[in-house]
Amino acid sequence: MISISLVVFLPLLGAILLGLIPGEKLQQLRYGSLLVTVATMLASIALFLKFDSNTFHFQMTEFLPWMKSAGINYRMGVDGISIWLILLTTFLTVISTWFSFYVKERVKAYMICILVLETAMLGVFTSLDMILFYSFFEASLVPMWLLISIWGGANRKYAGLKFFLYTFAGSIFMLLGIIVMAWLNQKVTGAWSFDLVEIQSNVANGKLWASSMAIQPFIFWAFALAFLVKCPAFPFHTWLPDAHVEAPTAGSVILAGVLLKMGTYGFLRFVLPLFPDSLRDNTLPLMIIAVVGILYGAIVAAVQPDVKKLVAYSSVSHMGFVLLGIFSLSQMGMMGGAMQQLNHGISTGALFLLIGLIYERRHTRNFSDFGGLKAQMPIYSAIFLIVMLSSVGLPGLNGFVGEFLALFGSFQSGWVGLYGMTYWLPALAGVGVILSAVYLLWMFQKVFYGPNVNPENQLLKDIKPWEIAMTGTLVVMIFVGGIFPNIFLKPMEKAITATRMMATYPAGQRPVWSNKSHEIDATGALTSNGTIVAPASPYPTFELAKNANENGPALSTEIKAPVASANPRRRGGR
Amino acid sequence: METGVPLGGYLAVGLMMFIVGVIGVVIRRNPIVIFMCIELMLNAVNLTLLAFAKYGPVNQGADPTQTAMAGQMMVIFVMAVAAAEVAVGLGIIMAIYRLRHNIDVDEMSVLRG
Amino acid sequence: MEATKNLIWLVLFLPLVGSLIQALLGGRIVKQLGPQKGKWLMGLLAVAPIAISFVIGAFITLQLTNAEPADRHTVVTLFNWIDFTSIRIPFETVIDPLSMTMVLIITGIGALIHLYATGYMAEEKEYTRFFTYLNLFVAAMLILVLGNNLAMLFVGWEGVGVCSYLLIGFWYKDIANAKAANKAFIVNRIGDLGLTLGIFLLVTLMLTSKAGHVGSDNRWLSYDVLLSLDPSLTGAAQALGNNPGVAFAIAMLFFVGACGKSAQFPLYIWLPDAMAGPTPVSALIHAATMVTSGVFLLNRMNLLFQMSPAASAIVAIVGAFTAVFAALIAFGQMDIKKVLAYSTVSQLGLMFVGCGSGYFWAGMFHVTTHAFFKALLFLGSGAVIHAMAHNQDMRNYGGLFKYIKITSICMIIGWLTISGVWPMSGWFSKGAIIDGAIAQPYSVYGEANLGQLAGYIGLVGAFLTAIYMTRMTYLTFFNKEERWRLIEPHHQAHETHEHAHHEAHDHGPDEHGFFLTEAPPEEHAHHHELDREHTPREVPISMWVPLVVLAACSLFAGIIMNRATEIPGVSEHQHVSAFQNWLYPQGLSQWTRLPEVPHEAPFGLSGHWFMVAISVAAVAGGLLGGILWYRQIHKNRLPVNEGWDTGGWNPWRRRAMNQFGYDSAMVSSAVEGGDQLATALWKKIDVGVIDRTVNGLGRFAGGIGKVFAFFQGGYVRGYALMMLAGVALLLGYIAFKMKEREAPPMEHVEISRRVASL
Repeated sequence: MISISLVVFLPLLGAILLGLIPGEKLQQLRYGSLLVTVATMLASIALFLKFDSNTFHFQMTEFLPWMKSAGINYRMGVDGISIWLILLTTFLTVISTWFSFYVKERVKAYMICILVLETAMLGVFTSLDMILFYSFFEASLVPMWLLISIWGGANRKYAGLKFFLYTFAGSIFMLLGIIVMAWLNQKVTGAWSFDLVEIQSNVANGKLWASSMAIQPFIFWAFALAFLVKCPAFPFHTWLPDAHVEAPTAGSVILAGVLLKMGTYGFLRFVLPLFPDSLRDNTLPLMIIAVVGILYGAIVAAVQPDVKKLVAYSSVSHMGFVLLGIFSLSQMGMMGGAMQQLNHGISTGALFLLIGLIYERRHTRNFSDFGGLKAQMPIYSAIFLIVMLSSVGLPGLNGFVGEFLALFGSFQSGWVGLYGMTYWLPALAGVGVILSAVYLLWMFQKVFYGPNVNPENQLLKDIKPWEIAMTGTLVVMIFVGGIFPNIFLKPMEKAITATRMMATYPAGQRPVWSNKSHEIDATGALTSNGTIVAPASPYPTFELAKNANENGPALSTEIKAPVASANPRRRGGR
Repeated sequence: METGVPLGGYLAVGLMMFIVGVIGVVIRRNPIVIFMCIELMLNAVNLTLLAFAKYGPVNQGADPTQTAMAGQMMVIFVMAVAAAEVAVGLGIIMAIYRLRHNIDVDEMSVLRG
Repeated sequence: MEATKNLIWLVLFLPLVGSLIQALLGGRIVKQLGPQKGKWLMGLLAVAPIAISFVIGAFITLQLTNAEPADRHTVVTLFNWIDFTSIRIPFETVIDPLSMTMVLIITGIGALIHLYATGYMAEEKEYTRFFTYLNLFVAAMLILVLGNNLAMLFVGWEGVGVCSYLLIGFWYKDIANAKAANKAFIVNRIGDLGLTLGIFLLVTLMLTSKAGHVGSDNRWLSYDVLLSLDPSLTGAAQALGNNPGVAFAIAMLFFVGACGKSAQFPLYIWLPDAMAGPTPVSALIHAATMVTSGVFLLNRMNLLFQMSPAASAIVAIVGAFTAVFAALIAFGQMDIKKVLAYSTVSQLGLMFVGCGSGYFWAGMFHVTTHAFFKALLFLGSGAVIHAMAHNQDMRNYGGLFKYIKITSICMIIGWLTISGVWPMSGWFSKGAIIDGAIAQPYSVYGEANLGQLAGYIGLVGAFLTAIYMTRMTYLTFFNKEERWRLIEPHHQAHETHEHAHHEAHDHGPDEHGFFLTEAPPEEHAHHHELDREHTPREVPISMWVPLVVLAACSLFAGIIMNRATEIPGVSEHQHVSAFQNWLYPQGLSQWTRLPEVPHEAPFGLSGHWFMVAISVAAVAGGLLGGILWYRQIHKNRLPVNEGWDTGGWNPWRRRAMNQFGYDSAMVSSAVEGGDQLATALWKKIDVGVIDRTVNGLGRFAGGIGKVFAFFQGGYVRGYALMMLAGVALLLGYIAFKMKEREAPPMEHVEISRRVASL
């Protein structure tokens, strides 16, 4: 009954139906679109309930012939990585649609934009055909661009264009890469196909790159560039602050919560499985990019005069942790990166939402206009505090788990020198955790602490019950993610492990999506019909041992005690 | 070979019609007239197609009647497209006239780069 | 033990539940019952969970003492917090002497301070918010000490940090408090980074050393796996022993973490500012419990420090330096709470001396006694502040003994205890540290016995402590001059207050109902003034009862905990301190036993009596010297706004007051330097380089477009002509090509083929 296509196209269907409602009937439009997004969320939850977390294979796959002769088909499927992003998308869309009740101009077009955007985002996370993926990837730009440049702030035209061109320019290279991948695949199999599963199987058995290893780095960087721009990583990030500042609140929530994840999702879904060799050659530069992003975003965030801009730069910093975790190529780091994606979506989304609430009241976001709001709006400030602390990465709240695991994993990889990584980079990235406290606490202090001297603020009421409910859901998610992170980690474990093995294991030992007999067993080994194909390697030390062709760092059996044991007696007290 | 008007005759008439159409499109400023000239060009092409359908050499191994039908089919297509084009184009011209009370094509240069 | 071990969850979750009750229901209940009854009920609901936790904790501890020393270690698991192939972090607690000692301190003193706070904060409007944070703090602190893995320790570690942040900034309307809160959190975060990296490095080292252990027990962060209490495992000791450099790095990183939380030298700067919080907070968090978690960490990770003598030596020296440095600063403080804050820093330094010299139990012993007497001193100072109408400047005190007898007597006990007078508990715990440090052969770096040096420096610190505590006591309680009578009444403060918001204000149409229609009534906090008409009054019973209990603990805890007990299983019947025997029973782990090297004492005294002699000299010298000195100085009347110590000492006192310029140098360089760096990065790199490059690319593309725009004249006929020309060119080209090939007259099939082949 429930299928991926239903989830993906339900919002589009809703958008079409919404088109039939006259534009003046604001309430019907608002509740109608909310209804559609809630239905989509329920459908995605049903999808999740049907999801089997014991396999890394794509599930609930769908196939429809589309352009058969070119090898382009409609293929959909979910695995442990994408299922959470689907849930995140549908959840955040509900929240942002709910918030969008505040929109007063061109409500109909606005709601249609959001719904179309939701379909595009869900399509990105579910497509298994590379052209289909690319279509959704680019399709998501248009509604977002409209959201920014129609309902945005003062400088919206510039920001919208910048957003569109930046990301579009990045992904053009990816299209080129996609075509080359299909061509290479055609050389192996004899038929054109853009099917990710098929191409991956030829990468996994080593045939695809066997004769064309020289061009792998170029295609790798073509893909990586597209996703780095989307993330955004350091030198390609300048579209993000502008886009966030100008975008309407719902746009910011979706932009930070979901659109940025397309970049990191792209790395997990395409770059790791398809370009293992180039990836391993380039982990160090990629890690440097991630760490520079973490530090740079955090430092620059600390001097922003605008709350939204501060949070935008903090996104650059936080997404750096996702990248760091993924590029660590250790299970722990990648789990952390994947977890951090969700956490960032929820906590940064919540921050933008909260900023939107105050913006609707005061029509300003400058720090200089605020101060002392804690007494004025106690509930709002309490919720803001929790969300802020989650973003700071306080243990017990969701932000911690991802950051901790990502740092831990990359530190381990760096310590053993996996693929030329170094542990200094994660150690430096740890400074980003301190800096996140610096700018976020500063923000909280500027807005909520001190005397309430601005007469404009002295009559502010606390937020309303429905707003408490809306932000409270996010707060609940923050606590759930922090206290029971296993709910999120378990379903993605097999998929992450398999993705990691696709990137780090030699050809022939990599898991293959198209080979249904492949499974990851409880110890993390790759089995085929119960026999072990590739051994487990949960720790980076395994690769080290493998590469050095020895059994890890030598262990001496002798214990060197620091103190010469002269007298076994212990000195007592008086 | 059948007798009657030779292939060259059809082609000559078609060429003349086409040239008249082209000149009309280039020099006239009234869009209605431009449209008529476009129609002229399309019909010149139609004429040529029909002439070739009548006189054209037959594909090896293909059914001669079908080959002949191909040219005539194209003509039907062109006519259908022309009709659609006129419908849309006249609509646009009407809309522009309502907006600007002037349909001189030289006045409409907003697409200038 | 098995039957009662699950009770530990009650200990852990009761304060959490209490916090939730305060947060979610508190405001409503107070509103419903009225401030009087409501606050009484909420106060009860705040104290009760902590008190019950204490009772259960005491019960579990009793059970623990009944067990054999080797069996005093139980791990209780609730659920898996993080669990996948490469790591499993359960939510688990460890019940052992170390954790239960801390639990008793936290809940016991916590309950007393909660009780005290119900009186101290009685006039506070946001009463329940205070207890929300305070209960939450106790819960976080319990997680810190009870957690059986480093991740849970870190949860508690940051949890107490955030509670401390919230409580320091409790009176947030004063921006200085908010800044102090930020400073505390950020400086703590620096330490937390050290701790995080230490955890990473330690676990990574274990993983690289235990590569063969894959899949056995992946609870890599749990103490029982990580530190391999099971001697049959090739354990941490081996891995650390094989990699002395890494062991040193790990130990130093953990020490950085401990420095942040326990306010040791480079990172101590947040603690004095943290006195901006309400006094019960200073007593509970910034004296008795949270700041000692660094010492707890060192005890928990004692293996690390034992495997790295160099790191231990650094710990001892840093501790000793901090002890003296903070003691010197304390001389220059005017604020009674600041004096106590620096004395806390100083005492913590002493605890680090103990741990750095390998006498971990002595460090913990001092944690325990310090918790008693420092909580007592802080609560007593709170009582004084309460009596003095929230005036914290000692220059305005004097002669209070006459007016607040109970508080004064308790404070005097605290003063004598912290100075280390026999038989107060401070004598025993300080003695154990200094005694051990001077005797030990352990923290030796090269030829220099740094641990011993640290012991002697610590002795100087103890001497200084006796003097400045005398100063504080003398200025507050003694001296005939009642300077508070000189305070100018300042009741006109409220009248000059601007009521700017009462002016009519236009918000425009407020369709959403975002704004109040009229300004909320202004809250006038009740201040009772103190001047020559009003005399200080004794505090209410809820405030002095904790004082008396703590004073009793300060008096007797030392004797009880330090009583000699036999070492089980040792035939010589050697006696050790009961507390040591409880924490680190002999014969359990070889890594927690230090050899004693008899050291040569001067003057022909045996080691023990030499120690007694120098300790007595330090304490007695400090006390007597202080009393005589301050009596002498205070013969003359004090200028209210200046200071007391006129003459040659004054510039030094001022320098001490400003922490010898250290704090301001650190803060201003960090804040201003950071600001400049960040602004430069933003303006130069983001806007200057990257955006300019991107916009430049855009303009470049636009320029190319301009060239081609020439052909887009906008005239239909132009386009038509161009199309014609294009078609003509194309046809001409085809014709030319065909001619070139000298083709015979063609079939149309041939034409199309040739066209296609062009």
